[in-house]
Amino acid sequence: MAVKIDTMLTEDETLITVEGDVDLYSSPELRKTLLRAVPKSKDGVVVVLANVSYMDSSGVATLVEGLRSAKEHGKRFALLTPSVAVMKVLELARLDSVFDVRSD
Amino acid sequence: MATDLRLQVVSDPRILGVIRGVVRGWMDAYDLCADRRHEIVLAVDEACSNAIRHAYKGRCDQSVELVLSASEDWLEITVSDQGVPCPPECIDRRPLVPPTQNDLQPGGLGLKLIHEIFDEVRFCPGEERGNCVTMRLRRNSKHEDGSED
Repeated sequence: MAVKIDTMLTEDETLITVEGDVDLYSSPELRKTLLRAVPKSKDGVVVVLANVSYMDSSGVATLVEGLRSAKEHGKRFALLTPSVAVMKVLELARLDSVFDVRSD
Repeated sequence: MATDLRLQVVSDPRILGVIRGVVRGWMDAYDLCADRRHEIVLAVDEACSNAIRHAYKGRCDQSVELVLSASEDWLEITVSDQGVPCPPECIDRRPLVPPTQNDLQPGGLGLKLIHEIFDEVRFCPGEERGNCVTMRLRRNSKHEDGSED
């Protein structure tokens, strides 16, 4: 399943909604979107991951890059309603507690 | 160990979704719980991604071979390539530890996940070229549906 990425600007945060499979093929597109959005956002970026059906370590690495960029720019970086597939790989990588994970 | 399936795929990241589908289908025959199935698909995907990204340095016209086998006690998956051998220092067997906020590294997770998921993992980089990773999962009551007792 191909990935679909939508960006929506709100008053304070930029919402990036990701759907489908995030793997070595699709993660460069997500990386580009995140690294472009972070410095432009007012307060930070919220990545909506409810409909991500699959994520591998390249997707996790992309989220880590987004988080690092947000820290460098003094912005917030949060994951909103991550799917089971996303939580599973974050837990396996011992990175679930590193991110600001929001339930809704 | 009897070979169920031998698959030769091109080293193109676009094929990863197909590989995941094949591995998911293969595991239907072995009644693994959903969690374990997801983990195995992830680990095989990571091994193939490593071949594409590191061994072939992103070249999309090379070949990756997968062999899926089973015995009464084990499921075994072998992923091999003919690319640049993985340097020994990259074969990190240390267990995963949670990083701190200041210690976040975006890379190097794939091999660690493979070690985390499978019961036995053997990396065999070739002397001049090629890599072969053999990943084995013990078929026991902990991992298979309906046989907890």
